[in-house]
Amino acid sequence: MTESMDKTTAVMNLPRRDARDKLQGRTKYTVDAGGSDVLHAALLRSDVASARITRLDTSAALKMPGVQAIATAADAPGLHGLGIADHPVFADKVVRYHGEPLAVIAAETLAQARAAAKAIIIEYAELPKVLTMAEALSQDAPLVHPDWEDYEILFEGGNRSGNIAWQATVDRGDTDAAFARDDVTIVEGSYQVGRQNHVSFEPRAVVASFEDGRYHIHTSTQAPWTVKSVTAKVLGVPEAAVHVTVPAVGGGFGLKFDCSLEPYATILARKTGRSVSLVNSRKEEMMTCLCRENADIHIRSAVTKNGEIVGRDATVLMDCGAYGGEQVFLTTMTAHTLGGNYKLGSVRIRTKAVYTNTPPNGAFRACNGVYNTFALERHTDEICAAIGMDPFEFRRRTVVGDQDLGATGQVFEGNVLGPMLDQMVAKHPIGKRSDTLPDGRLYGRATTVGTWFIFVGPSAATVILNADASATLVTAGVEIGSGTMMQSLPQIVAANLGIHPDAVIVKTADTDAAGRDLGVGGGRTTVSIGAASEAACADVRDKLLEVASGLLQTKPDNLVLTAGRVEMKGRPGSGTTIRQVVQHAETTIGPISGSGAFTAPGVPAMPGCAAGHFIDAIDVPVFAVHDCEVAVDPVTGHVEILSYRLVQDVGRALNHRAIHGQIQGGVVQGIGYALTEEITINKNGAFDQTGFESYHLPLAGDVLPIEFELYEGAPSIGPLGTKGAGEVPILNVAATLGCAIANATDKKVNTLPLTPPRITALLEGRQNGSNLGHVARLRGGDKR
Amino acid sequence: MGVDFTLNGKPRSFAGDPRTSLLHALRDDFRLTGAKDVCGEGFCGACIIYVDGEPKTSCLLPVGALQGTEITTIEGIGNVDTLNPVQQAFIDFDVVQCGMCFPGMVMTLTHYLKDNPRPSRAEVKAALTGNICRCTGYERIIDAVMSLHNSASGEVRT
Ligand code: FES
Ligand code: FES
Repeated sequence: MTESMDKTTAVMNLPRRDARDKLQGRTKYTVDAGGSDVLHAALLRSDVASARITRLDTSAALKMPGVQAIATAADAPGLHGLGIADHPVFADKVVRYHGEPLAVIAAETLAQARAAAKAIIIEYAELPKVLTMAEALSQDAPLVHPDWEDYEILFEGGNRSGNIAWQATVDRGDTDAAFARDDVTIVEGSYQVGRQNHVSFEPRAVVASFEDGRYHIHTSTQAPWTVKSVTAKVLGVPEAAVHVTVPAVGGGFGLKFDCSLEPYATILARKTGRSVSLVNSRKEEMMTCLCRENADIHIRSAVTKNGEIVGRDATVLMDCGAYGGEQVFLTTMTAHTLGGNYKLGSVRIRTKAVYTNTPPNGAFRACNGVYNTFALERHTDEICAAIGMDPFEFRRRTVVGDQDLGATGQVFEGNVLGPMLDQMVAKHPIGKRSDTLPDGRLYGRATTVGTWFIFVGPSAATVILNADASATLVTAGVEIGSGTMMQSLPQIVAANLGIHPDAVIVKTADTDAAGRDLGVGGGRTTVSIGAASEAACADVRDKLLEVASGLLQTKPDNLVLTAGRVEMKGRPGSGTTIRQVVQHAETTIGPISGSGAFTAPGVPAMPGCAAGHFIDAIDVPVFAVHDCEVAVDPVTGHVEILSYRLVQDVGRALNHRAIHGQIQGGVVQGIGYALTEEITINKNGAFDQTGFESYHLPLAGDVLPIEFELYEGAPSIGPLGTKGAGEVPILNVAATLGCAIANATDKKVNTLPLTPPRITALLEGRQNGSNLGHVARLRGGDKR
Repeated sequence: MGVDFTLNGKPRSFAGDPRTSLLHALRDDFRLTGAKDVCGEGFCGACIIYVDGEPKTSCLLPVGALQGTEITTIEGIGNVDTLNPVQQAFIDFDVVQCGMCFPGMVMTLTHYLKDNPRPSRAEVKAALTGNICRCTGYERIIDAVMSLHNSASGEVRT
């Protein structure tokens, strides 16, 4: 049936249908829902990082003006989590991080709810705390979860013990033998990176109601089905009793990939019988953000003088904060990010998610790929220096290509990174990598590579072909701002049905209407929901062509859908309109609709290579080559980015202009991560950065136009050969800036963010504050 | 005894606590949710409205100070069927992503271009010092703005 449509019609610069309302201030995000009938909720959060709760008395607060209900741990006893159920909705008996919810209040106004929160009597007995991973892994460290062995395991295979919430391992080949060879140079490096806050402009927000015996959750999420199942689990109700709808989401970037505020509002809706709105204040959002985690990384490589990496041994510690959350799952990614890019003779990787008494972390655009790529690319440049090989030459020789093995033993298809590197230097030949500019600033240039992967997971779609030949697409996909639901999906559906994308109605996410979906994240939406939508369209097409074949007296195989018509192949004007066929169908088979589903069975790892991994190998690899030039002021430590360009592997570009927007936005988020966005945790276990004054987002004056070229044609299982394009632009920004700054300053750049004080400290040869003895120590004692 | 002002061309009155920020009064009492509460501290510009034609961050303005003023919000810029040139340029260049910053962007730039119809790129960036966007990386917004005066005058300045 593939020739019954013209795939090239999917490629166009379709404008966004949601732009007009957004520009007029008419879009109703979750924070804008509500009205006088809605109750407002506020959370009481702990102001200590580790304590036993000795008293929690809500009786006075309950009598405060306007207060309708208060909920505490007794109302939601269940534990949830990813891999391990370690996370209570409310702190129950113990507090494990500063900002942990203790109680939630619903009142007629937000001011009343906040006043009542203050009137709750809470008393603690403080417990010892661990605020850094070095502390958490020290001998005799207090355990964040003394009962860790009793938790329900939701996914088997991760090694756990004490403050190590989860460990994922890769072992391929004999690394010990590789390091023992006498013809290799051994290069070793340690790296440390801080947290990054998503700062989605719409905070996490929810409005919940109790309707006809079911819970209706209207929420700002990327993953409606996760909200549905987690809320049901912690409330102890059947999943079928939870209905999730999602309006326009005001930014996500991964923050909203997990269930967060929804259970609180839902419990209060049940208690009061009213709709309840709960919105994080900006301060709460800053201080309890499920950040990109801070991490400590150690890499050692055994390399021959020809640049062959015969052995690689790496340890990555990811701070999961007080609860495992996404980090448990994300330990899997190291194999494909830090273990990616290059051909490795043998490899051993230990990735540990470590509990600390700090706010939990989460998923953020390209997740640990961003810092693993920073560490890997800095390490690669150090290898080049050690063996005296040009960094471009080294990469050109060593990047993975067709039939090469990935870290977990999967076999890559196609030469992609090599040609992408060639494409970059063809346009921007490499001259000097370091210099001093006439104004005295230090010039540096670097070119890096990056590997990301799209984990597809299950998606479902329904397509209804309406009587007017428009089509309605029903999925659980959410528009978080990237445009996928506004552009790629209508373009895919339209091309499959031979209609214009303007005639494709995209239903907003609703778990009562759409089948299960993993959520919008990781670049999976276009691939996975797109593929399910294509399958649904194929179902529709089969039915439509069957009816048309009766009408037109020809075999379905002879028909093609194009420009709103069913035509005989090669004979434009010979057929009839889709509208007429649909109307005819109403009298023969009834209205036409189709359903489709997608999941990838998963690419297997080499047996015995990977343990504790949620996925063994990469469903869809995505590659990137970045290049930049910087000027570093040796006095102030200020970095100016002189040029930034990249080549991105997109499979097939459906909407060039929309991809441009994702690249510009994603790189700028990476610039913030690399240079200015810093989170420090004080001795109380709280973030020092509580708002926009202290957390430094890039401003218009800090950025530059990103030059880019798209690399098309790399193999992909995505619909029409697509790969997600929104996740990847951020992947090697910190790596590229870090390497360029290292070239400019001739210093060992091994921490992020590279703020002016850090850079001046580097230049002056002062300790830059990173003490990574614990990572190297772990490696030595851990050969499992 | 309330505070009286003109809101999007209509006389309105606010009877609540005069220390309430204009942003909260707009969003909660008048249910005009176009101005966004993002930072609440005057840094991001998502809450920008006009008071007597001048852009102000409404999160920092107590309603009590607004007696007799004329307030215009994003909802008061044109109507459902009309877009101003800045809004149209943003559509033409496909620059909107999550959209949360755009009501403020439109207010700032519409006002700025009235007094500075032919700014350079650097001048547009300077005009956006008080408007933060987390999604777009700004440059496409600047491209859209530059198209406006370039098409009007045929002149290209960078
Ligand atoms: S909300 Fe007013 S400036 Fe940010
Ligand atoms: S479009 Fe999302 S903050 Fe600007």
